[in-house]
Amino acid sequence: MVGILSLTLLTLLLTAVLTFLSGRYAKFVALAGSLVFLAEVGLMIADFTQWAGFGAGGVPQYNYSETYPWISLAWLHINYTVGVDGISLILVLLTAFLQLATVVYSWNESKSPALWFGLVALTGLGCFGVFVALDILLFFLFWEAVLIPMFFMIGYWGGPRRRYAALKFFVYTHVASIVMLVSLLALAFYSGASSFDFGSLYGPARTLMPATQVVLFLGMFFGFGVKFPIVPFHTWLPDAHVEAPTGGSVLLAGLLLKLGGYGLIRWAVELLPTGAHDLAPLLYLVAFTSIIWGALVALAQRDLKRMVAYSSINHMGIVLLAIAVGSSLGITAAVLLMFAHGVVSGLLFMVSGSVHHTFGTRDVSALGGITPRTPALATMVMLGALASLGLPALISFPAEFTALLATWDQLGYWVVVPLLLLVVTAAFYLWMMQRVLFGPPKGIPPTAHDLPRVELAGMAILAGLAIIFGVLPGLLVHVIVSSPISGWP
Amino acid sequence: MSVLTPLLAYAGLVPLLTFLSFVLVGFLGNRLKGLEWGGWIAVLLSGAAMVVGTLVAVAEMLSPGQYTDVSYTWLTVPGSPGTFPNGVSLVIGFLVDPLSALMLLVVTIVGFLVMLYSIGYMHHDHGLPRYYAELSLFLTAMTGLVLADNLLEFFLFWELVGVCSYFLIGFYYEKPSAASAAKEAFLVTRVGDVLFLLGIFIYFATYATAGGGAGWAASGFKFANGTQPFLGPLVGTNTPLLTVAGLMILGGAAGKSAQFPLHVWLPDAMEGPTTVSALIHAATMVAAGVYLLAVTSVFLGFTPDDQFAIVAIGGITCFFAATMAVVNTDIKRVVAYSTISQLGYMVLAVGAGVTMVGMYHLFTHAFFKALLFLAAGSVIHAVGTQDLFKMGGLRRTMPLTAGAFLVGALSLSGIFPFAGFFSKDDILGSVFQAAQAHPAYWPFFLLALATVFLTSYYIFRAWFLAFGGPAPRDASLPTAHEGPWVMRVPLIVLSGFAIAAGFFVFDPAFASLLPGAGVPPTYTATDLGLSAVSLGLAGSGIALSYTLWGNGRIAAAPTGIAAQMRTVLLNRYYFKVGYDWIGRRAVYTVARSADFVERYVIDGTIRGFEKLFSRGSDLLRRAQTGIVSDYAGYVVAGLVGVLLLILYVGPAIVQSMGGG
Amino acid sequence: MSAFSPAGLLALSGALLGLGLFGILTRRNFILLLISVEIAINAAVLNFVYFAAFSGSSSALSGQAIAVVLIGLAATEVAVGLAIVLGLNRLRGSINVAEASALRR
Repeated sequence: MVGILSLTLLTLLLTAVLTFLSGRYAKFVALAGSLVFLAEVGLMIADFTQWAGFGAGGVPQYNYSETYPWISLAWLHINYTVGVDGISLILVLLTAFLQLATVVYSWNESKSPALWFGLVALTGLGCFGVFVALDILLFFLFWEAVLIPMFFMIGYWGGPRRRYAALKFFVYTHVASIVMLVSLLALAFYSGASSFDFGSLYGPARTLMPATQVVLFLGMFFGFGVKFPIVPFHTWLPDAHVEAPTGGSVLLAGLLLKLGGYGLIRWAVELLPTGAHDLAPLLYLVAFTSIIWGALVALAQRDLKRMVAYSSINHMGIVLLAIAVGSSLGITAAVLLMFAHGVVSGLLFMVSGSVHHTFGTRDVSALGGITPRTPALATMVMLGALASLGLPALISFPAEFTALLATWDQLGYWVVVPLLLLVVTAAFYLWMMQRVLFGPPKGIPPTAHDLPRVELAGMAILAGLAIIFGVLPGLLVHVIVSSPISGWP
Repeated sequence: MSVLTPLLAYAGLVPLLTFLSFVLVGFLGNRLKGLEWGGWIAVLLSGAAMVVGTLVAVAEMLSPGQYTDVSYTWLTVPGSPGTFPNGVSLVIGFLVDPLSALMLLVVTIVGFLVMLYSIGYMHHDHGLPRYYAELSLFLTAMTGLVLADNLLEFFLFWELVGVCSYFLIGFYYEKPSAASAAKEAFLVTRVGDVLFLLGIFIYFATYATAGGGAGWAASGFKFANGTQPFLGPLVGTNTPLLTVAGLMILGGAAGKSAQFPLHVWLPDAMEGPTTVSALIHAATMVAAGVYLLAVTSVFLGFTPDDQFAIVAIGGITCFFAATMAVVNTDIKRVVAYSTISQLGYMVLAVGAGVTMVGMYHLFTHAFFKALLFLAAGSVIHAVGTQDLFKMGGLRRTMPLTAGAFLVGALSLSGIFPFAGFFSKDDILGSVFQAAQAHPAYWPFFLLALATVFLTSYYIFRAWFLAFGGPAPRDASLPTAHEGPWVMRVPLIVLSGFAIAAGFFVFDPAFASLLPGAGVPPTYTATDLGLSAVSLGLAGSGIALSYTLWGNGRIAAAPTGIAAQMRTVLLNRYYFKVGYDWIGRRAVYTVARSADFVERYVIDGTIRGFEKLFSRGSDLLRRAQTGIVSDYAGYVVAGLVGVLLLILYVGPAIVQSMGGG
Repeated sequence: MSAFSPAGLLALSGALLGLGLFGILTRRNFILLLISVEIAINAAVLNFVYFAAFSGSSSALSGQAIAVVLIGLAATEVAVGLAIVLGLNRLRGSINVAEASALRR
């Protein structure tokens, strides 16, 4: 009997293949596939009453888990093992929504639509795989599989410097992947486990010598950190975003950055608690640097997309901070914030894309007073900006609040640093809104008209999520805490 | 118990009604031209909210106590050893206690009157559905804030009122000054909000396990979670952490209530419609800061150091803002400065330990200040300018407005028997008493006393300039006339409150909404003496004002040092210039340099690596000549090299290491 | 047992290898190149044959077998090589290897 996770993987694979083959009907196939995907995830969540809990020997169990032998040697078993807990389930939900929103938003894509929608589906497949894989090799396979569609999205549909950006993105993240793979393999071999399964690594890995844990954690931190991205290994991000097509940016910011955060929690923090604990000062340092740097540099940007890209660095810095804090409150906040950032940055990148092709520019100082001409677009700009600067009743607020509360609990007055940077975040979004939305109209071509219906629909999906889960964050938190962190030391 | 008591469990209806109004007007307003673009729906529903709000307040008066409405668990995180052992629960619920009932009364009454007034005042504007929807959302957030039963929920609605204020200040968004003022208001209050957040963190994280008792975190950090004040055992001692927490709360309150030094945004907020200024930037939202201080002092408690800081901020603010009002020529800005100044009085009272006296002033102030703004709005509506020096003689054409403004001015000046007299006098008397126990309060008491003189001077200067004299100084102004009935009714009702609200507290039932020292005021011999002094000061302020500006006179422009002082005051002590410098120059320059480093150092290093590799491989590629013989040569050379290594170099190394 | 001492034979095969290498490195004519390769291979063949005989006994046969394989290999190589020569000549009208560098880029 094939479990629901394998079924979903199969659905996504089928969607991708069929979309590639179906020519000008590709968007319909992709939409149908995304809806089925969402329905399957919905089923999973509806059926997820509680987390499977810890099994024998304190090893965490996973819901819907399946395992089949894949490569069996006398001394090493590589399995096809998948399973979810609350953390992965939330990120899977994010994947399903973002894939759907991207398909809807880019409905009118005219440049090789079959290829485009196929790559979108493939990205969804890869991210889903990463979130459910519980075997080192399977995990790595999906991890790398995500790079390929994104590389082509940037390189084929991107802006004027797309080749440079695509190559930079690929090389940068690939180098990090290799470091990560080596660390994961080293972890497997040092721990003496005879299998690449998360479950069989769990016990031995956690009892490794502190020095070994630190070295392994360092390698993984670099590997996962570049995806975050952490300062100073972040410069691929603004370039990739600026050149990427809108849909690519949405997936890049909404999903790919989350892979780093998820990987760090699942494969580094859970397996190497001592390493995480001993390296916490380094993590704090990097997190603070990312928070400060992202916000400050965003303040100096005039390109809307670059601004949003740097604010992503700032927000992911807070995610890292919450992970470094390590309490169950912190990890919960980190996952919630990842979901929030996925939704909000997706919305903001859609908005930037729409601003670009409505007005022909993304330069904040070249625009002004767009509200009367394009009220729907202006509303979305405002909603995205307010959500991103942490307005209550929108999704970022509960996440940032819990993250910073956990930070205060652990670090005391250091929390002033991220708090003050919240003012800077507010400053650049408010400045942007003042310039772009308000004041006398400026830089508006006579042909400009309000959002096409599909673009509005794509944004509305994300805006709806931001509001629903902003008002009722408990729905997400309830699922997130159904994971090993509920018994976190 | 009374028949109304069960209603207390449904106080949540108030925000619900206004939220309904927000949804209806927001989504259908564009199709409701006949209903003033949804304006009448908003009036109707805010009227219903006022009825419920008043009934709740009456019910609370009849049987005072704490009543909780439904409580919804927002999110729950299990505890982990060391940090929040009992887990963290964040809840949204409604709590009715005497203070919130009082606030509910103020907010819903003024909210309804302003909504009604708007029908006339805003009639000619565009974007009315947006206006009424945003105003309804504001009322939802404000009543939610008033009923909040824990600090997080308080903060949540606090931010929502802030963003509504942002939208409404920027209502005329095509005006650059309005857009800029909206941004400024949001940003300055944001600074306060960040401090407020830190205060919440300290209370939540630190006192979840200590002092307050375990389980506070698990049950949602509710205000009403035991005897008052919640941190009772710790209050009265200067615990460093508790002091810092109190200061952070003060920071948040200073941002919202425009207290020194975060006061800069409020005068600029007058870019919004006058109705917005009346409701949000005078009667309700800006008073939320004072309400926050009151709630904190009742439920959590301040340390003595905190109290001194609050007294200092309040005392400085009330004087400081009054001086700026003295020279201003814009009718709305004069009233705005008076708002800052009066909020300073309330903060002063809370700091001096007589929280309820501060709330008493908040109550009376809400009515007479809304009255002043709506009267000013009536003038602006009629003559189309805000410049006092262009107006004049308006009492002939707008007698009702002139009378309403006069009532407001008398109340603001603290003239017996208007509402402002009782509450302001109560503050002065209580602070006078407190200063005898804490000599450090004396300077701030004196500042507050001096402010009485300034207040009556500047508000009557405004009255004489606008309404006194024979005719408008600027002949090009249109002939003034009173507004329609929807504008006149609120003026009349508010005038009634501005006259009578001071007496309310002498009724024991009403006074139970302000349970604490100093309410209702007692009149001992000292108090009476002090009242005489303050009345004398107020009277001499009015007299000076009449001498200089009465009967259409225009005082001669000051010269010498006075002229320089006037420049300083008109430039608002250069605070705005300074903040602009910090924002535009200091922070932005840092950001620009960060961007430079980002582009040329960090990314430059990356590009450097890229160059290194591409240049290096270019160099190595030259070896690939494409001639087979050359490759064979490399093979032979490599072979020879390896042989040499194995036969000679390797053994040499082994030998030098002493091995065999 | 034989006329040559191992040292003498090694000198002979070394000289043959050197000759072949010298040819490979210096010649640009494809046919001469092939001849040089043949000479170098034959140096190896000579070694196999001699040392098979020299060590005698059981391993003798394997050395000779490899020699035979090598001779076969050399023949195939020449066949392929000459085919390339013909192709090259037809394509470019020259059998100078220095000119056949199209794969360089």
